[in-house]
Amino acid sequence: MAHYWPGLTVPERLSARLGLRLRFALFFAVLGLGGACLIAAALWFGHARAGGAVDGYVVAGLIATLGLVGLSVWIGLLFDENVAKPILALASDLTTRARADVDLQIDEAPARHLGALAPAANAINAALTEARAARQRAVERETARLAREKALFEALFRDLGEGAVVATPDNRVMLYNRMAQELLGDIGLDRPLAVFLRPEPVLDALARMQAARVRGQISAETFLAASADGKRFLLGRVSPVISDEELSGHVLIFRDATEDLSAHAHQDHLFNSLLEGVRRPAATIGALLDVMQSGGDLPPETRAKFAKGIEDEVTRLFECLTLMAKQHAAVKSRRWPMSPVAVAHIFDGVAAKAPVPLKITQTDAMLGCDGFAVTTLMGAIIAHLTEDATRERLTLAVETEDAETRLVLGWQGESVTDGQLTGWLEEPLSSAYGDYSGRDALKAHQTDLWAEMTAAGHRIVLPLSTAAQQLTPGDARPEFYDFNLPGAPVGELADRELSDLSFVVFDTETTGLSPRGGDEIVQIAGLRIVNGRILRGETFDSLVNPGRPIPTASTRVHHITDAMVQGAPDIVTVGQRFHDFCKGAVLVAHNAPFDLAFLRLKEHVIGRRFDHPVLCTVLMSAGLFDHTGQHTLDALCERFGVFIPPEARHTAMGDTIATAEVFVRMMDLLQAKGVTTLGKAIREEGRMTRIRKAQKY
Amino acid sequence: MSEKTVLLVEDEDNIALALEHLIGRAGYRLRRVASGDAAVAALAEERPDLVVLDVMLPERSGYEICQLIRSNAALKDVKVLMMTAGGGEVERRKGLAVGADAFMTKPFATAELTAQIGALLAGVDSA
Repeated sequence: MAHYWPGLTVPERLSARLGLRLRFALFFAVLGLGGACLIAAALWFGHARAGGAVDGYVVAGLIATLGLVGLSVWIGLLFDENVAKPILALASDLTTRARADVDLQIDEAPARHLGALAPAANAINAALTEARAARQRAVERETARLAREKALFEALFRDLGEGAVVATPDNRVMLYNRMAQELLGDIGLDRPLAVFLRPEPVLDALARMQAARVRGQISAETFLAASADGKRFLLGRVSPVISDEELSGHVLIFRDATEDLSAHAHQDHLFNSLLEGVRRPAATIGALLDVMQSGGDLPPETRAKFAKGIEDEVTRLFECLTLMAKQHAAVKSRRWPMSPVAVAHIFDGVAAKAPVPLKITQTDAMLGCDGFAVTTLMGAIIAHLTEDATRERLTLAVETEDAETRLVLGWQGESVTDGQLTGWLEEPLSSAYGDYSGRDALKAHQTDLWAEMTAAGHRIVLPLSTAAQQLTPGDARPEFYDFNLPGAPVGELADRELSDLSFVVFDTETTGLSPRGGDEIVQIAGLRIVNGRILRGETFDSLVNPGRPIPTASTRVHHITDAMVQGAPDIVTVGQRFHDFCKGAVLVAHNAPFDLAFLRLKEHVIGRRFDHPVLCTVLMSAGLFDHTGQHTLDALCERFGVFIPPEARHTAMGDTIATAEVFVRMMDLLQAKGVTTLGKAIREEGRMTRIRKAQKY
Repeated sequence: MSEKTVLLVEDEDNIALALEHLIGRAGYRLRRVASGDAAVAALAEERPDLVVLDVMLPERSGYEICQLIRSNAALKDVKVLMMTAGGGEVERRKGLAVGADAFMTKPFATAELTAQIGALLAGVDSA
């Protein structure tokens, strides 16, 4: 801190200006000169009083002065070497250590004449080093903790079996997980929830939640809402996120209730049909029997008629039961509330606890089941099988047949009776499940198991339901949440901060360069930028069937062949989907007028208008840098250090990613230049367009 | 060719009454037992040509009786017709897996049963 004491201004400033060594030198110079003056004055005074030969005084004076000056110089040099220099060295060492992270000890040898100063400096140095290390450790600990929590949170949300969405108070998406994406389709950050979900039931639940909050209760409210396309029913809960007493958003957790609802309705219907189907013949049979028993005097032909009546009714009853059983089986097999589990996981779990080694046939089959229950059940059966050492060479394998996947436990030795199996299944499965038995678990899975004998030996077969292969782990979306979304949009779009806007960066590949000459789009790729972040998980990439051949010259550029687009949807379908993808966003493209010309020419067949605000990275670059220079995508990538793998260059998605990377970097430069709003950016582009046009003519 | 024998294992008296008459009328010699253990005893006592076996029995299940028959060399060729009121597909498959020759779900028309018995016994030389 460089404060000056008010009373000491002049000397302090002086000493601050002059170096320490110079000050020491001056001090000794003053001492020597002052001494010489004193000697001269003393000799002059002596001579004036006592008189005598002048020469004697002069000689004495010269000797004394030379001696004194020599002494001053010698002591001064000693001081310089042993005091001034070590002090400066110490000061410099300490300053360095204060400013930068230096772990070295201070060398105490040059400062040995400074008493305890050097050891004291070293003590400070040690304390500083220790404090720094401690702080570093604390930072590392805290960083690791945050990273752990983040990983946990991400894993939790990503793989939650239910759909999860966190929305802002004005119902824009801040977070979504994979299940939400499965249930709601192309959900994206910062998109309005109403695009994916019929909002009324959710708004109603929110209103109830709000009312409860006013009463001081913070609780979840349930809702049943259809997806926006009306194809699915979602049953869920919404609960508030409160921070600092303020509602900062709400969490929606939901699952697909479509199957449940239809299965429920189906079962109700079945049950009612069954009642009706049984009641009618039962009533008739009862009445006919009553009459036959009471009327002993019935003529034989009437009796025969009655018997025929009973026979008919019994047939109807049987038919009804057969039909209902068939329908019930269909409903049962459609409804499977279990989650997908890899058979390999179950086998690993069983093998880990088995008292004997198991020979396991590796498999990638998936089961819809309660993995823990099945693993424990198989484990319990193996424990019983091996308890009296009469069975050996146990094997585990799987047989998949369409909707059914059978776990097969084989062995050599003694057989197992159904009675033994029944006994084992009556035992509680696990302390974790209370009284829940193996039989209960089988019932919950709507199945049974049995022992059978084959040529290869004995085996127990457990049929379960095949599950669809799980989402691959590589499918993870890297950016599925953003808790710092910009506030709700207010005012004119043009006045909004660039950083608050959502962008869709896109690129098209075409059959040629002339949209009006009949060239068509063959591929559209796009990706979103929200809150300044490129969302690599929210992409649009589709081939388009151009309805005409692709010239070889164009295929050479983008490597898209006629064969590749043959099965692709046409521009109407892709255009509509792309329009949905661009909803609420500013469009960005490299040389945007070119890509837009193709899209706008197709507006009448697509039935949508691409009237979004548009930014062009070519014009932005011309505004930011020398406008006469190179503004190709390659040149911009080089300027900003963006690397495009050569194989990705001239693919729609590769160029889109490159344009997006360049665009986010240019946004920073625009901000610095004072171009902060969309309106200003568009005006800046307009200026460049005029300059470039003027140059062309 | 002597009379073929049928062992009926059924714990419900009313249906047993009907089946006894029906099978007797078809010309087979019939014995009826009402529990799993009694079935085991009856099988040990005299080998039948066919066992008509209910799944749900006291003491031992029909599945177990069937397993016993299949694992006993002396009884190996005895035909087994299993029947149950629990009409699931899994029961049927389990019955066939433990060695039943045929499986019927209640209710069934009596004519169907006698036809099934006839078919099963057609290829059997009586012991």
